[in-house]
Amino acid sequence: MNLDAFWIIMTGSLVAISSGLLGCFLILRRMAMVGDAISHAVLPGIVLAFLFSGTREVWSMLFGAAALGVVCTFLIEFFHKKARVPADASIGVTFTWLFALGIILITVYAGQVDLDQDCVLYGEIAYVPLDTWITESGLSLGPRTVWMMAGVTLVILAFITLFYRQLYLTSFDPAFAAAIGISTSLWYYLLMGAVSLTTVASFESVGAILVVALMVGPAATAYLLTDQLKVMLILSAVFGVVASFAGYYLALWLDGSVAGAISVIIGLEFLLAFVFSPTHGLVSRRRHLVVTTPQPASA
Amino acid sequence: MCLFLLFSSCTPQEDTAELAKQQGKLYIVTTTGILQDAVANVAGERAVVEALMGSGVDPHLYKAALGDLQKLRQADVIIYNGLHLEGKMGEVLEKLSRQQTVWAAAEGLPKNKLRHSPNYPDTHDPHVWFDVQLWSKLVAHVSERLQKHDPAHAQEYRQNTQKYLQQLDSLHQWAKQQIASIPAQQRILITAHDAFGYFGDAYNIEVRGLQGISTMSEFGLRDVSSLVDFITKRKIKAVFVETSVSNKAIEAVQEGSKQRGQQVKIGGNLYSDALGEAGGPAGTYIGMVKANVQKIVEALK
Repeated sequence: MNLDAFWIIMTGSLVAISSGLLGCFLILRRMAMVGDAISHAVLPGIVLAFLFSGTREVWSMLFGAAALGVVCTFLIEFFHKKARVPADASIGVTFTWLFALGIILITVYAGQVDLDQDCVLYGEIAYVPLDTWITESGLSLGPRTVWMMAGVTLVILAFITLFYRQLYLTSFDPAFAAAIGISTSLWYYLLMGAVSLTTVASFESVGAILVVALMVGPAATAYLLTDQLKVMLILSAVFGVVASFAGYYLALWLDGSVAGAISVIIGLEFLLAFVFSPTHGLVSRRRHLVVTTPQPASA
Repeated sequence: MCLFLLFSSCTPQEDTAELAKQQGKLYIVTTTGILQDAVANVAGERAVVEALMGSGVDPHLYKAALGDLQKLRQADVIIYNGLHLEGKMGEVLEKLSRQQTVWAAAEGLPKNKLRHSPNYPDTHDPHVWFDVQLWSKLVAHVSERLQKHDPAHAQEYRQNTQKYLQQLDSLHQWAKQQIASIPAQQRILITAHDAFGYFGDAYNIEVRGLQGISTMSEFGLRDVSSLVDFITKRKIKAVFVETSVSNKAIEAVQEGSKQRGQQVKIGGNLYSDALGEAGGPAGTYIGMVKANVQKIVEALK
């Protein structure tokens, strides 16, 4: 059981780090609910993948879901830019439309097959230790999910450290970024590609609610505590990891759902920050966030 | 990493699994309550059988608790339905079969006895327990595997199984006779989701469902109106709701028929994917089938 606990907390932490980091950029762009949008928008991808492959096997489902995740973020930006609707409205229109498309595809083509995100895509974090990766020689290398999420987390970490300046400038000051020759569209799509990759891989590992909670909650909590993006990124990841730890033990104590418990802890963290934050808290009357624009070199 | 392990070393472990082992019994974990009942009848005194899903739980939408992981880890044998009834959890259990003893009970049934979707011959209807005869085959299959797994008590398992199969056989005959007593014109079972396919085949009663196999897929407007047409044309007296599915859809049909002048009553709550309260009349498989058949006969006759 000890090792099982370790793997569950490890998985939670890896998902927390990758979604927590990306969540910061999403919040700054006022697109926090993009994770939730993707969780719905993947439905037609799953159905199409099933119609083409004829199986509900995990890799074809992942491929279909990832493809629709990218399509979803692409459409959000397209409507936002071309139709000039606000980003939140664009998110709302896009994912409800795609989800509805998926429902229609199911009823028309696959009504006799049990097919939805819950039963073919969303994983369960409590079962992570059961699905181990065993080599041909019979050596157990630990859960498949941990390897997959470790890979995703490394990609996200590399992406953010290498291109911090571009991501920072296009999020805060698109006009300035454009003036010095950084394409806002390109970095938007790269960021959204990273979000799609992380969410879809995480859905398969730990289920939808937890991913959405980890993408928004810790980043929002960090937002209350600091005005600096770098600090916000670190805090967001730390809050997510702490929630994974505490949530696991809460679930153990209650014999309840792990994903539910972690999400509850995230909510508590936010409440605490909301009450006690030095700048935005209820206790010290809040002062508005002043976005200082540091020199790109020092950022 | 050391910190992780330090924290996780203090987990409480006092439960049925330990107790079973102390008494020299097998500890068997099943997914649904229906399977638990079958396995308990086969194993008798030789095993403690526990189900992960309680009564009234829809197995398509079950959310795992952390304690489930512990139960699965401690189990000597894990038995699940298979044929995608448990969704993603079934996949996980299949993977687990490389490390622990895991059996997919319904996968042991002959493929030609299974209902499959017309377009996708590889996706089968998992609700095999609605045909008592088919369920008997599954019980026999589980019993054989249990005999092989624990040869020391094979004799006992065989005796238990024989006794139980006889009960199931007379249940099957009884159900057949009961359903046949409904006039052929009125022998139509209308329910919310498509779980009763095997029941219809086995007991010669026409089955109409509003939704597809999955309890998630929504019912279409045309489904409702065509069902209303069907009900008024055939003058059907009752439609049925299920314990583990929402009643909304079937109530829409009832309302629609009323407007067209055909009074349809709700024939009762049928047990579909889960047993009734433990200890109650529908708390066992046999009790569940009896309760369903009685309700159907009463309402449609």
